Amino acid sequence: MIAAWYGVVSFMLIAYVALDGRNFGVGMLHWLVARTPAERRQVAAAIGPLWSWDEVWLIAFGGALVVAFPRLLASAFAGYYLALFLILWCLVLRGVSLEVGGVVDDRLWHGFWDFVFAFSSSLLAILFGAAAGNVARGVPLDARGEFSMAFFTDWRVTGEVGLLDWYTVSVGVFAAVVLAAHGATYLTWKTEGPVHERSRFFAKRFWFAALPLFAAVSVESWVVRPEVPEHAFGNPLCWLGLFGVAASIVALLSAFAKGREGRAFAASCFLLVAILATGAAAIFPVMLHSTLAPESSLTAYDVASSPTALWLASLWWPIALALTLAYYVAISRRFAGKVGVTSP
Amino acid sequence: MFSDPSFWSRLQFGFTVTYHYLFPQLTMGLAWFLVYWKWRALRTGNEEYDRAVRFWAHIFGLNFAVGVVTGIPMEFQFGTNWAGFTRQSGGVIGQTLAMEGMFAFFLESAFIGALLFGEKRLGPRGHFAAALAVALGSWLSAYFILVTNAFMQYPQGYVVLADGSLGIGAASDYLLNPWAWIQFAHNQLAALVTGSFAVASIGAFYALRGVHLVQSRLYLRAGTAVGLVASLLVAFPTGDQQAKMVARHQPVTLAAMEGRFASGPMAGIAVIGQPNLAEKRLDNPIEIPGALSFLAYGTFASVVHGLDEYPEDVWPDNIELLYYAFHLMITLGTLFILLMAAGAFQSWRGRLESSRGLLWLLFLSLPFPYIANTLGWLTAELGRQPWLIYGLFRTRDGYSRVVSNGDVIFTLIGFTGLYFVLGVLFLVLVGREIGHGPEEEQA
Repeated sequence: MIAAWYGVVSFMLIAYVALDGRNFGVGMLHWLVARTPAERRQVAAAIGPLWSWDEVWLIAFGGALVVAFPRLLASAFAGYYLALFLILWCLVLRGVSLEVGGVVDDRLWHGFWDFVFAFSSSLLAILFGAAAGNVARGVPLDARGEFSMAFFTDWRVTGEVGLLDWYTVSVGVFAAVVLAAHGATYLTWKTEGPVHERSRFFAKRFWFAALPLFAAVSVESWVVRPEVPEHAFGNPLCWLGLFGVAASIVALLSAFAKGREGRAFAASCFLLVAILATGAAAIFPVMLHSTLAPESSLTAYDVASSPTALWLASLWWPIALALTLAYYVAISRRFAGKVGVTSP
Repeated sequence: MFSDPSFWSRLQFGFTVTYHYLFPQLTMGLAWFLVYWKWRALRTGNEEYDRAVRFWAHIFGLNFAVGVVTGIPMEFQFGTNWAGFTRQSGGVIGQTLAMEGMFAFFLESAFIGALLFGEKRLGPRGHFAAALAVALGSWLSAYFILVTNAFMQYPQGYVVLADGSLGIGAASDYLLNPWAWIQFAHNQLAALVTGSFAVASIGAFYALRGVHLVQSRLYLRAGTAVGLVASLLVAFPTGDQQAKMVARHQPVTLAAMEGRFASGPMAGIAVIGQPNLAEKRLDNPIEIPGALSFLAYGTFASVVHGLDEYPEDVWPDNIELLYYAFHLMITLGTLFILLMAAGAFQSWRGRLESSRGLLWLLFLSLPFPYIANTLGWLTAELGRQPWLIYGLFRTRDGYSRVVSNGDVIFTLIGFTGLYFVLGVLFLVLVGREIGHGPEEEQA
């Protein structure tokens, strides 16, 4: 049951990255792919009216974490205090820029909110990447299962680490590049006209940058936490995940070569899911690794709720998921199809 | 106070949640106006109803957007600032926090776009369904969060686990907490009060200026009718039941709300008076004798417990503010009933548009339901102190030990700046929509 809820929580976060990561990517690139006000509106229309549904996955992830692993949420959120508030403020700015950017028809107004959108999206991608790096590297958990962390200390990856060090920064950069590629792939599929051409141009280049970075980050992770891959070799789920990663890279490259844009975006989503799922399977059951003493690490079994709570949540959670997927599909079909430059 | 490690987290949570709730209270009330007008448009084919929906959907959309972006930090603060509380009770309240996301937020966020931008794509029936889904989603969200709050006010359906933390016990006791039902009814009607005051106020504004007269009539009629019913129901039976609930389960809170330092029968309700904690009495009181005994327990002879019966370490820690919040809320609620009764009566006689004095009052009344809602929540939350979970877990034990005061003041300053800018932006944009007004009939 605890392992199943580890899966649920990972699933919620991974779905959030694949869904909202696309919006971060669009935000980072939209000045490059859209040059005129009409093209900017086209990009906004390509994100569509359902973007806040994407964001709810983050909230629902937080909810699932409280239900299943309340003590992890307490330790991690308090420990990441300042970083989390930076993320929250960026989410506020990103949300506002999407909601009000098109409300006033004025060149300065558009320019300002376009900047806020690009700025907050870029920072979000880097911060979420650095957060993933922190989970992979570990945090200075003490014997009480708590930690507090500076933004940076000596930039090394052991002992009293900071939020940022050479490893987490490199994961942040990788996240920004891969989400930019993901967003550009989405725009290639969803738009037509000049925006489509430019998105295609950037999607290819960002993927060519992202794949070597992915290899580099994988090697770095091995260096930072050598025991994790050793442990993962015995886990069939990790092998499945690695196979998924390889298959989606092949599918992505072939889809680009053949100009199958919908398939390219599907492969891009699948690649993100496979990378993150492999990582989640590899670190299980440790949810938060201690850089001070391995025995202070928090495993899923240490921080889980009571069995009653997990059983109760298992009753309603699948129903809620089925419901939301059903009406999401029903609504998004109404907004399906390519977005042209003249669309409102 | 300023070095108390929980003080700044309380201030930050109080500030961010109060600010946040300015927006959902309108959307939860307004949502049913949209549903009603959409339904009338379907039934009658009258284009005026669709025009009303289109105009109010703009206002709704802006409020919804600010409500969403200011709501996200709320859930996260359970972990960032209240890690002690989450460790102690996450196994219980996690259920409703997660349900809120999975059942309510997904529903609202999927249909809000359809409501705001999908009128043409969805057709009239689909658009009506979108309005209904957003309304249901927002009320569902309120129910889940009020169950969470009711657990903090009157804990039900939990068990104490081996490590001393709380786990979920009987799920039905937790989810169907009687406190939650009464609070839900009271709170949602108060949101309808805010919604109907907004609708009536904008209607009065256009009527006074002599513009958009057909639309203005629609707003005034619906706003005053719903406003009167909701204002009455907020006071009786829901407000009355809420107070009885407090009398039964938090008697020391009731004593503090009323500024009653001594126990006794024939307890009165102070219309005016200032609590004096040093002397343990109410200064300059003007009381209605016996009223409190009667309202709380049903007879004038009933003994109302005073603060003197309880040790000071279970007294709410800001009795003065609690007392004023409660009394101002009651005063405003009474004025709402009078104003809306006058408005609804004149509207029924067809004379509201010509009663300029009353139109001015309705127009200027817009801020007051927001104030009353805020005061109601201040009463509930200050009244709960010094407990985070009433009788089980103290507020001073709930904060995050690893977060320094400096960190919290840093983020509090950040929120203050960000929310100030957000507030100015919101007022400018809503002002533009109101100035622009509903679209005119095509001649």
